[in-house]
Parts: sequence; C-alpha cells; structure tokens
Amino acid sequence: MIEVEHLAKSFVSGRGRKQQRIAAVADVSFTAPDGQITALLGPNGAGKTTTLRILATLMQADGGVARVGGLAVREAPLAVRASLGVLSDARGLYGRLTARENVAYYARLRGVPEPAWQTRLAEMAQLLDMEPLLERPTAGFSTGERMKVALARALIHDPAHLILDEPTNGLDVLSTRALRTLLRHLRSRGKCIVFSSHIMQEVDALADSLVIVAHGRTVATGTPAQIAAGGALEDAFVRLAFEGMP
Amino acid sequence: MKIALVVYLKELADALRDRRTWMVVLITSIVAGPLSLLLLAGFVADIEASAAKREVLVQGGQHAPQLANFLARAGARVSEAPADFRERQRDGRLPQAVIVVPEDFEQRLARGEEARLQLVFDDSGTKAQASSRAAAGMLRAWQRELASQSLMARGVSPQLLTRVSVEEVNLAPAGARGAQLLFLVPWLAMLGAVVGAISVAIDVTAGERERGSLEPLLMNPVPTWSLVLGKWGVVASSAVAVVLLTLAGFATAMQFVRSETLAALMQFGPRELGIFVVVLLPFAGFMAALLMLAASYGRSYKEAQTYASYITMVVNFLPILPLFLSLRDAPWQLAVPALGQQMVLARVLRGETVGWFELLAPGALAIAGTALCLILLARLLRAERIVFAR
Repeated sequence: MIEVEHLAKSFVSGRGRKQQRIAAVADVSFTAPDGQITALLGPNGAGKTTTLRILATLMQADGGVARVGGLAVREAPLAVRASLGVLSDARGLYGRLTARENVAYYARLRGVPEPAWQTRLAEMAQLLDMEPLLERPTAGFSTGERMKVALARALIHDPAHLILDEPTNGLDVLSTRALRTLLRHLRSRGKCIVFSSHIMQEVDALADSLVIVAHGRTVATGTPAQIAAGGALEDAFVRLAFEGMP
Repeated sequence: MKIALVVYLKELADALRDRRTWMVVLITSIVAGPLSLLLLAGFVADIEASAAKREVLVQGGQHAPQLANFLARAGARVSEAPADFRERQRDGRLPQAVIVVPEDFEQRLARGEEARLQLVFDDSGTKAQASSRAAAGMLRAWQRELASQSLMARGVSPQLLTRVSVEEVNLAPAGARGAQLLFLVPWLAMLGAVVGAISVAIDVTAGERERGSLEPLLMNPVPTWSLVLGKWGVVASSAVAVVLLTLAGFATAMQFVRSETLAALMQFGPRELGIFVVVLLPFAGFMAALLMLAASYGRSYKEAQTYASYITMVVNFLPILPLFLSLRDAPWQLAVPALGQQMVLARVLRGETVGWFELLAPGALAIAGTALCLILLARLLRAERIVFAR
C-alpha cells in the first residue's frame, strides 16, 4: 500500500533578484491499495513526476507524508527503496553491457541470489517478449527494447510496490501491449502499482482507480467510472484538470 | 563493502569494454615510456654536444697571441672577460673561469723563461667547476704542445713527456649533474595518473548522468558511499595501471638506451622504481577522486571534459612552476599536490637521500585529499540538482 498525505514540494528557480519559488506539488493526497493499479492522471507540469520522485526517496518533500508499505519515505529511505520497483523517465542502461548484465548489476546490488534472479529474468523475458535481447549489448536498443530492459531491472527483486513514470512514452503498440500484460499479471499477484500518465486511453485500459492531479493538487479520486459520471472520461478530466482552478 | 565490490566489478567490466580505456592504455604503454626516453636520450646528446663547445674568457688576450691561436685551434670560443669579472664571479653572475694573461707574457715565453698565467674562478657553483676544469684542461694541453715543440727543436722525442699517462676516474655520485633534466620522468609519470583516470572518471560520473542511469542506480537500497567507493576503485585502478605502465616503460627503455651520460644523469634502478610506486600510488588515487568530483558537475561527457581539463592543466603546470620562478626545493612544496611528488621524485632520481618524512608526507596528504573528495562526491550524488539536472 502506498499512501500520500498533503504532499508539498517547491523548487527555487532563477538566481539573484529573479529568484522565485515554484510550487511543483502543493497538496497531493491519495492511497494506492495492494492488488490494484492506480493511475496519476494530469496535464504536463501537474506535479506527477515530482510526487513519484518523492515516493522513490530521490527527493525530499517540504511538507506532508508519503508512506510505502507503512514506512515513511523520509524516515526509512533504504527500507522503502528495498520494497520498491521504479521505472522512472530516466531509463538509462549501460550500453556496453548486455541486457542480462544490466539486470544482473541491479540484482547483485540488491543482494538477490543468482538462481532467483535468473529464474525471474527468464519469466519476465518471456512475458515481455525480450528473450532475443538478453545477450546483446544495449547500445542501439530501440525505446521499446530499452523500456523492457529497464522494467526487468526494476522488478528483478520482486518488489511489493511498483512505480512507473509515464511508462508508455515513446512505445509502439506491441511494446505497450506487452507492458499492459505484465502489469495485469503483477496486479493478479497482489502488487501495489502506481503509474503516471497524461494519456486517457492508457488510463482507461489499465487503471482500477484514478487520481487526477492539476496544478500540484489532487482534484479528484475514484474509479474511472465514478469520475466519468456517466459521460466520457476525457470530458470529465478536462473539466477537472483545466477548469475552475484559481 | 560487498556492494562496493559489486559496483567495482561492474564498472571494471564496463571500462574494459570501452575503447577509450584501451586507447589510453595502448598509447601510454607503447608510446609514452619509450618515446619520452628517446627524447631524453636526444636531450642528453645535446648536452654532450654543448659541453664540447667550450667558451673561454681571457683577460689581456692581446698579450698572448700564441695562446689565442691554440684555443681557436682547440675549438674554443675566446672572448674578452669583463673588467669586473672577479666581483661577478664572487656573487655568481659569471660562472665561467677567466684566464688572466700578464703584459710581459709573450716576451718571457720568447726568452724561454717561466711564463705565468692565472686561472681565476669561484668553484662554489657547479657550473664554475665544469668551466674551470675545461679551461685548465685546455691550458695543460697547450703546455704539452709548447713543451713537445721545444723538445723536438732540441732533437728529443716528446714521448719522454708522457712516460706516465693518466686516466681520469670520477668517483662523485653519478647523477649529480644535469639535474633539471630529471624533471621529465616524474612529470610524465604523474601525467600518466591523470591520463589513466580521466576518461573512466568521466564515464562513471557525468556518463551516468548523460545516460540517465544515475537516477535508477540511486534507487537501489544501497548507501551512496558504497557506490562512490566502488566507482573510485575502478578509476584509481585505471590511473595506477597507466602509472605502472609508464614506469615500466621507463625502466625497460633505460635498459636499451645505454648512454653513459644518461646513466650518469639519473638513477632509475629497482630501488628508485619502488620509491616511485610508493609515492605515485596515493597520488593516482587522489587524481582519480579529484577528477570524479569535478566530472560530477558535468551533465554530459563533454561538459565534464571541460571541468576535468582544468584539473589536468593545474596538475601539469604545478611541477613546472619552480622552473619558471626558479624556486629552490623547500619543505612547503611537499604540501602542494604534484609539486611535492615532483620534488621528492626528482631528488630520488638525482641519487640524493630522501628522508621518510619527505617520502610519506605527500602520500599522506594525497590520501587525506582522496577521502575529502570521496565524501563530497557521496553528498553530491544525492543532491537533487545533480540527479535531476539533465
């Protein structure tokens, strides 16, 4: 379970007199239960990525609390990282290493025993249709291929929580489908999955519950059906995210 | 520590597959050592040639035309000494010896009386010693020539004069001469540390940022210091490898260039090699840490190269500084990285005894500097402006 309560984070922009604080996240709250896929939906610059970075312990929040599996992110960053798998928008791979070596590096850093991660990698390679990639150096991989390796790398320790930042960015139809298959498979195994997106169709196809974020605030939560309220989800989203804001 | 080992092994495999790493290793091992020694040998030949070029200062040369003639035949350049040469010699402005010819010299010589010449020099400087020896040698040669001429005129064989021939054997410690040349070897070895570290240092820091692999790496539940330690291990290994290759290159080339002058110029046996390694290993580790710290500020490989090149420039320049400013060796130089190493190693090559303090002080400072850089680096890698600024 991932819980976020009144999260706030601002950045300093500019220098000297032109310096000003920009609130990236002003008041974001949501709960993502286990065995469900929760989507953070919002326009560009709404604060989705910042929220996920705070959850991933890479940034410190200025205010509010974020908990992963009951552990406060601020207090126990190492334990939180141990129970998290993160696919951030930075999906850098080591180009001179093969896909398998890239994954192996993270498995070893996390202390996963070799037989365990080899088995897990074989499973994921099958689910993601990436078996032919495993022994190739990753330099020159396509966006979809890179995503698959990065995803396998993020999941190699079989984390209870999974965070994905715009996972389908730049992916073709087949890669997107492979990703959906894997996420549904993980959901059926009781994992807590949170992903951010600004694409309606993707959210519609995957999410069990929705958190709509705009201007750094949570403006609505609920199932897609609840939020659509009988109309089209897109109309509801545009109304919630772009209208009636100060 | 186990994590640091995992990082080390991964970065090592990564670096070994990088063509840039191999280029550096190849270039240093094939070119740097032997080539620089070749240059050194050329330099030595130059010195030998210029030593043969003798300049002789004479006062009252017009009173001894025969002497002037002989000196010219011997290939020496004769010039008139300045009037205040004694003063100049005393305060070191005039290193050459001066031959003083009295007014009645030629007349006495013609009359067959004993003709006196004065050779004036101040041998407190090393250059003056060489010059006075050369002048004295030429004067002796002229004496012999005059003597054998008079003997032949009287029908006596000049061979009687050389019943005993003397061969000079110099027992002074080899290497006391031509000291400024010794600058080159430590300097190049230190350059090796920088060259060996630079591309790997950039790859494991700014390279991670450029690839976008730093952010996922930091999401692993491992302390940052263990990542930094593992990465530093690989950079330091590369720096040390290139230093060792450079030194091995020198040692091998010394075996091939069997020049007497070179051998007299510098000592580079197993003992000196050992001291070089002891002094240069901490330095290589320090350069690795310093370059990593500088490169971490770069968002891309290119940007990091700019930052790293500032450090390279300073490290290359520091050892040359004393040559330009004609600084004498002083204890404070031990405290300056690169300068301290340069001073100690040059003295080792010169064959001087170097105390424990001088041997270990620069190394201790380098280790302290390494620790400081690594602590700063661990902090920096967690800073939001470094992780997310791409």
